[in-house]
Amino acid sequence: MRLLPYLKSALAVAVVGSAAYLLTLLVPLPHVSPLFLAAVVMSAAFWGLGPSLLAAVLSVAGGSYFFYSPIYSFRVANPQDLADLAVFVLAAAVTSRLAAGVRAQALDAKRRQAIIGGLYTFSERLAASASAAEVNASILEHLAPVLGQPIHLLLPESGRLVVAASHGGAEPAPAELLAAAGRVVAGSEATLAGWRVDPLSTAQGLVGVVAARQPKDGVALPIDADYARALLGQAAIAIERVRLAREIADARVKAQGEALREALINSVSHELQTPLAAILGSATALETLGDRGDPHARRELATTIREEAERLGSYIGNVLDLTRIRSGQIAPRLELVELSDIIDAALRRKEKALAGHVLRVDLPADLPMLRLDLFLMEHAVANVLDNAAKYSPAGSQVTIAAALQDGAVVLDVTDSGSGIRAADRERVFDAFYRGEAQHGSPAAGTGLGLAICRAFVEANGGSATVLDAGHERGATVRLRLPVRTGADAAEPASDD
Amino acid sequence: MTEVRPKVLVVDDEPQIRKFLRLGLESHGYAVLEAATADAALRGAVAAQPDLVVLDLGLPDREGLEVLAALREWSRVPVLVLSVRDREDEKVRAFDSGADDYVVKPFGMAELLARIKAALRRRVEAEAPMPVFRVGGLEVDLVRRMVRVNEAEVRLSPKQYRLLQILVANAGKVVTHRQLLNDIWGAVHRDDVQYLRVFVRKLRARIEADPARPRYLLTELGVGYRLRTPDQLASSS
Repeated sequence: MRLLPYLKSALAVAVVGSAAYLLTLLVPLPHVSPLFLAAVVMSAAFWGLGPSLLAAVLSVAGGSYFFYSPIYSFRVANPQDLADLAVFVLAAAVTSRLAAGVRAQALDAKRRQAIIGGLYTFSERLAASASAAEVNASILEHLAPVLGQPIHLLLPESGRLVVAASHGGAEPAPAELLAAAGRVVAGSEATLAGWRVDPLSTAQGLVGVVAARQPKDGVALPIDADYARALLGQAAIAIERVRLAREIADARVKAQGEALREALINSVSHELQTPLAAILGSATALETLGDRGDPHARRELATTIREEAERLGSYIGNVLDLTRIRSGQIAPRLELVELSDIIDAALRRKEKALAGHVLRVDLPADLPMLRLDLFLMEHAVANVLDNAAKYSPAGSQVTIAAALQDGAVVLDVTDSGSGIRAADRERVFDAFYRGEAQHGSPAAGTGLGLAICRAFVEANGGSATVLDAGHERGATVRLRLPVRTGADAAEPASDD
Repeated sequence: MTEVRPKVLVVDDEPQIRKFLRLGLESHGYAVLEAATADAALRGAVAAQPDLVVLDLGLPDREGLEVLAALREWSRVPVLVLSVRDREDEKVRAFDSGADDYVVKPFGMAELLARIKAALRRRVEAEAPMPVFRVGGLEVDLVRRMVRVNEAEVRLSPKQYRLLQILVANAGKVVTHRQLLNDIWGAVHRDDVQYLRVFVRKLRARIEADPARPRYLLTELGVGYRLRTPDQLASSS
């Protein structure tokens, strides 16, 4: 193949020579060297420096043999012809250099364009890959035709390199490969027979190692070193981007956890200390009374102890629920249930809290069965009822109504309190947010009820919102619960 | 000794809990025996033949439910289970193992006393069953197999009557889904809770004024059903 350009330029010289010979038969030409120069320039432009030099030599030989007297001899007798040839050789040498340089530049530009095009598609694919797995797959798919395959991507995981992804063949990464990659990580050159091992590094340092199997016959792929380096660089950046994104997400979760913990500690110090102080105080008072105290005082103290202990108990229950949510322990156990059963259970549990209110329950008899977690939903509904009781005046009405709406059952709990301002309709679902109870003073409570309610309802695939009921018309908390049809007709075993 | 005081065996490893149970129960006319471990509980049950056992599920040497199972091999003494665990599956396991009632810790003395009283009364009634069960406006004549609601006779299908009959026999006590299914449809269907829900819905439509807010036949969420006794009905409203 490498001979072809030389043959071509020899042919070009032959063609030009023949043309010049025919031309001299028609018109006497003083100098044929410019014609030969054309062949030399053409060779330089199309086939490079080597072929153009060959063309120059052939031209000198051909010219002296066919055109300069004595004809049919390489000897050149005329000093003028000799000077002509010398000028020709000089011109040929210069133009060859120039033309070949231009050609090399053109080739280089073309190669760069190919590299940039390849890098562009590569970076486009990487940008479109969101997950780590997608990024790894894109990298290997793109590197395999360049570096060879099967190809493995090795990434550090908890202190050691592991094969994170492979492409182009089921052949697993051999154990020696990990050792070789480990040496790359350690900073030394690593070579392994039959493999090409490349580090992936960014400005921050090494992020991984790529190992590509080289063809068995020992002939390496024609690799453009610049292109390979650029691809590896991009791959390294993409891997780092994914890793950073994950670290940021982790950090955010941690920060949220910390914010929660802080709110929890603030709340705990108040919510736990207050009832505890009352309990301790009443109990010690009871102790010091001995046999002297009047029965009425004793009973009062005992009642205080019970009430405060109950308050403490409900607070601890809420905090436990919240930590259960935060630690992801609320995998719902879905079973087919009737909403009326859940509401009834919640009402029975909150009987005491609702005792001072007028209850209206409006449940259509034909509501579909719902697929829900009983425990979570009963808690959620009970919390909403508790809230309604807390934020509306004694003796006022609390309405519980359900209806089928757009493929879901909506359960509205409406109180007759002062309502919730538009600005607070989302905030009431924040942990530790507390609304103002009747007339200004903050309500007794933990500020956890609705946060827990929303988390539990969402775990069941539903949603919890506060409706805009209009000013001073009371607040409506709406729970929207999906009706799942189809395969749900048959009830799976729910006991054990 | 002029009166016979019912003997209650209190099984709990917490001395503080045992102390307040002893004080509370003794002041209400019960004789209290204590056990801190599963072994002591079983020995105490054999030696003292208590009228009722209050059993904590978290014992140091063995699971409380094992004690219950061992006890049930030879005794029908009412067992009231105490536990800090409030998920339904725990309750179901306790009831299926033969518990008569399940009280979640923390609890108040008044509630516990009411439950103990109910359990002891059920035992007396089980020994001499009443021919007619009445709660509120509901009347079940077990001899003539007749059901009346507010004086008007209600017709039930044989299976609906059977369901009601089982609940009457266990009035005041939770009967688990599994126990009901097993009794009415047989062991093959004992996990088909859906059957039961449809059935209860139909039964409620006949005996309850507002089936969505039942007064007699209550759902114990995720556990089973309970027919209220007149006492329970009175204390609820």
